[in-house]
Amino acid sequence: MMFKKSILSIGFAICMLVGCADSYHWTASHPSYSKAPYGGIAVTGLENAFVITRSSWFAKRLEIDKDSIQIKGTLHCRNTFEAEMRKSYGNLLVLPDSVNANSPEESLKLDERIFIKGHIPEQGVSLKDSAGNVPPVILILHEFIIGTDLKRENFFDYALIHNESGGIRKPDNVSAIFSYTLWDNLKQRPLFSAVDEIQQPITTYKLNNLTNLIQIAVQKIHKNLYAGVSK
Amino acid sequence: MKKLLVILMLLIAWASASEVYFDSRFTLWKDATILIWSLDGNSPVNAPEFCLSLRRNNSGIGDPKCRELGEWERDSIAMRYGSWLSNNLEKGLSSYYLRARHPGMAAKIQALEDNIVLFLAPQGKNIQVAVFDETAQEPKAAGVVKANTDKIALSDDIASTFFDKRTKRRLTKEERLKQQTEPDDLYKEVPNLKAWAGFGIGYSQAHFPLTPDNWTSSHTRSRVRNYRITKDSVSLWNFIDDADPFFSLYAGLTWHGFIGVEFMYRYSNRDMKTDNADTVYQELDHWNFGQHDIGLNVLFSLTYPINPWLSITPLAFLGFQYTFYNEDIDHKSDVKTPSRAYQHRVKFEDVYKGALLGVGGQFVFKKHYGVDLRIGLSSRGRDLYEAPSPDAGAAATTIGRFTLDCFVSLGFEYHWTL
Repeated sequence: MMFKKSILSIGFAICMLVGCADSYHWTASHPSYSKAPYGGIAVTGLENAFVITRSSWFAKRLEIDKDSIQIKGTLHCRNTFEAEMRKSYGNLLVLPDSVNANSPEESLKLDERIFIKGHIPEQGVSLKDSAGNVPPVILILHEFIIGTDLKRENFFDYALIHNESGGIRKPDNVSAIFSYTLWDNLKQRPLFSAVDEIQQPITTYKLNNLTNLIQIAVQKIHKNLYAGVSK
Repeated sequence: MKKLLVILMLLIAWASASEVYFDSRFTLWKDATILIWSLDGNSPVNAPEFCLSLRRNNSGIGDPKCRELGEWERDSIAMRYGSWLSNNLEKGLSSYYLRARHPGMAAKIQALEDNIVLFLAPQGKNIQVAVFDETAQEPKAAGVVKANTDKIALSDDIASTFFDKRTKRRLTKEERLKQQTEPDDLYKEVPNLKAWAGFGIGYSQAHFPLTPDNWTSSHTRSRVRNYRITKDSVSLWNFIDDADPFFSLYAGLTWHGFIGVEFMYRYSNRDMKTDNADTVYQELDHWNFGQHDIGLNVLFSLTYPINPWLSITPLAFLGFQYTFYNEDIDHKSDVKTPSRAYQHRVKFEDVYKGALLGVGGQFVFKKHYGVDLRIGLSSRGRDLYEAPSPDAGAAATTIGRFTLDCFVSLGFEYHWTL
């Protein structure tokens, strides 16, 4: 029996060494990320980041017309996000998407198989607000996908992105998958990047549940920005 | 005390004046072309002077050419990356974090061919230094040197810190093209079937190195009296010498570089361990046994190409063998009739069956010529699953019910792929 156990543990050790355990790194920190933003932060990307999948499902429950769910629903998300960010950061500066929209879309590596895609400002060019000020750190929200029973690996692991979900079934959770980068605007480098996932169990789904989902997301971002500081 | 501290601090400051953050050993060409890139077009070193510094500090550099990299100094993409680099070049950051992301900048670096770009940017009391070549979108080496208004001293400092290494001859255009298109020496497909044949010499003994002697000494110290009597007849080593060299012939095959079989034959000559105190042996001229082992091994192996002319294949093997003993005995020519004991001497079984287990490695040179090293265990015994006979109790004891030894062997092989 002992022999069998030791064989098993050796097997596990080999497995860990060659990396057949399927674990991802969902965050990446720059070695120079030494202090999380406190009090003040700028944020951009809010205008185009939010996407609601399964529009008819959400339209029915949120009592919004199906034609306008994308516009009204995402606007609601955006406003909630902004309001919740303001609670965490008293001095919040919201930059329009246009400041960063001209940067080419690039991928940012988090893990051997996980890449964030988004607009990343050019090296040597600082983003400016309308008054011409240069905010020191900017939270760039790349994507915020809201749907039912979504898994982030199906969106961000390049080996799985072509997987299609099997037939429609009754969903268990409303999910939010969001990717973001904390950008050092003075030195033009990504301080911290992450892909997060939230699962919210469904009982009855109303607009305040969606509000709550966004609030949880912002709190999670806030927490991760602290947790990501390089030791 | 204070003075000492000041001196110490000065010393530390002096020692840390030039500091290399990282250096990935870029190729420094003989007769190199160094392009000096400064952001404001106001280079802290003088290009011809820098060439002289290179020649002073590196005797192998030949006749280098140096000039300022005006085309990058005037280019907005390069300008932005340069100022970004100057802003981001910190101690402790690996080159990965200094990569040029802009495709235009990456293209510029790739188009350098075998020229070397030396980036210089003043930063307070230091000058930041970064070295680029065509092979990477990030600096190959970076660091700081102490700023100095004496341009010659500064050139010397940079040359001795970053360009003090062996040089390689610069390739011609044709050679570069050839190098780009020639196949990778280490690239090798695993052949479906690989075969080898070889011969070897080895040595086997009953006592395992690094184990207590008393595990085997009762067998190895035992002597045969009166042509047939020993303390214990379980092991053949009670009768014959265990520590002898052997000669082997073998041939094998590997499928897909992983699993293989090998047929082998071994021969060794074993002397009978007669007790010299026993006078009955006075009539004896010689008594020994030729030991023939025929076996079949299953091998598990993996091949690692080390360089174009050497590959190493560690392997493990497991197999079985049959052993036959061929008696060679004669009494002295002056003895007319040997004794009764001589006529009724010990008889070994016709055949012994055993197992082989071990590990080894094949070192294959130039794809064909192999040297093989192995260590392992081998056993010989009787078939355990004999039908029980009714008079088992009365039957004579089987000689050599279980014999174990260890071996080490060195083989010379020829390899080929099928």
